[in-house]
Amino acid sequence: MNRVLSLALLVAMLAMPLATSALAQAHKPPPETMDIGDEPGRVSTPETIIEDGPYARQMVFFRSSDPPNTVVIHTSERFLYVVMGNNRALRYGIGVGREGFQWAGLQKVTRKAEWPDWTPPPEMIQRQPYLPRFMAGGPGNPMGARALYLGSTVYRIHGTNQPETIGQAISSGCFRLANGDVIDLFERVPVGAKVVIRHGPQV
Amino acid sequence: MMWRRTLAALSLALFGFTGSAAAQTGTLEQVRQRGSLQCGVSTGLYGFSFQQDGKWAGFDVDFCRAVAAAVLGNPDRVTFVPLTAAERFDALKAGRIDVLSRNSTWTLQREAEFGLLFAAVLFHDGQGFMVRRNSGLTSALELGGKAVCVQAGTTSQGAARDFFAANAMTVEIKVYPDSASTLAGFAKGECIAVTTDNSGLFAERLKLDRPAEAIILPDIISKEPLGPVTRGDDLRWHNIVKWVAFALIDAEELGVSAQSLPQALQSNKPDVRRLLGLEGGLGRMLGLEDAWARRAIEAVGNFAELYERNVGTGSRLGIPRGLNQLWSAGGILYAPPVR
Repeated sequence: MNRVLSLALLVAMLAMPLATSALAQAHKPPPETMDIGDEPGRVSTPETIIEDGPYARQMVFFRSSDPPNTVVIHTSERFLYVVMGNNRALRYGIGVGREGFQWAGLQKVTRKAEWPDWTPPPEMIQRQPYLPRFMAGGPGNPMGARALYLGSTVYRIHGTNQPETIGQAISSGCFRLANGDVIDLFERVPVGAKVVIRHGPQV
Repeated sequence: MMWRRTLAALSLALFGFTGSAAAQTGTLEQVRQRGSLQCGVSTGLYGFSFQQDGKWAGFDVDFCRAVAAAVLGNPDRVTFVPLTAAERFDALKAGRIDVLSRNSTWTLQREAEFGLLFAAVLFHDGQGFMVRRNSGLTSALELGGKAVCVQAGTTSQGAARDFFAANAMTVEIKVYPDSASTLAGFAKGECIAVTTDNSGLFAERLKLDRPAEAIILPDIISKEPLGPVTRGDDLRWHNIVKWVAFALIDAEELGVSAQSLPQALQSNKPDVRRLLGLEGGLGRMLGLEDAWARRAIEAVGNFAELYERNVGTGSRLGIPRGLNQLWSAGGILYAPPVR
């Protein structure tokens, strides 16, 4: 019963029009954004962990007054921080929304799922008609190994079958981590955790 | 004794002369007349100041390019003067350079005894620890009962001893004669951690066979604030160098970057307009054009761009912003407002 209800809720959520009007505006992508479409069906190593370079998961100095387990996302930096207290945070490299698909706000983790199914919202289908209407969870699914659902938005923190896109701005507003890293994040962050999404200041 | 006194008198006369000449024509006028900035840098430190394809590059190098852009309107009008640690302050005092931009730590002695002024902190460095990733260590406080490698004769040796004593930890400190043997000791597993200044650790890590197998802990146990230095007798010039540094930091906070500059010039926000010289006439107060900060940002970007390109995500060093993040985003970087 509960499961049916949450499924219905989820469908309703996905059908909701995307929040910002900015999404409708045509934006010329800046040079740093790559034009890579989602590649449903493409199977990457399922539990890739980024081990080297700036986007490797690492503990960093991070001053914060938020309680431990708070997730702070710096969109313009392409980093996600899990506050650990004592002036430190665990930092993960992420892929973020492409220009015009970035957003900021305060949310909560409302649900977590392993190998989530993917039902692209109608707006996304309209922009990318070649996308499947539904895709069952699994290694070839662009949602990757885990998903953390953000409030009642259509956005999630999820894995990816394209780990090479970490550090880039190409998504439709979701935050993607390499599968091995999103599994690690999934274990640390409970349902109900606060999620702060920060966008760089606008001139 | 006698000889010494004569020398002192002689140097006094000499410095007195150049001193009065400098009073008539300050550093700003000298730089303008010369048409180029004399910038003291290191003899080669990857990420900070080093030569790449015959051209100087790095964080400290780009700061001088920003000053040249603000003062002369052209970031390429810089003559880089490589200096060793021993000669850097004398070169500045003697007027061989206009600004020292060479990973130098701001201390009381260097200002009070040498008659110099640090303009700003552009990089908060400090002593840290590198460990193997598979050690599972996440904090320097977990090093108790282990061995740590350190280079002999450095301040790192004493600071490490003090840190472990202050935290009631028994740690074996293994001392090596130079940085290469210290790293080799770590690579061979003679110690679980190696300690020196954080920026140095990130550079040393690249020399390992598999850099990805080592991580740098987030703990910083000493203060090494690095920044550009000017002579103490020319406050007008000092202010220019200082406010170029502040402008780059303020630009990041306001969202003004080399990339966003065209939009920023259309901004209605007073803070942005003052920074870019569209109102307020602040550049003239410094003795510069009103577009001073705009030119600097055009040349090297804002602080985030300057940092990431040279020592952050855009470089092989990949040093996390950490302390060097803005005060409003988890770090301690804070600049007074341009107004």
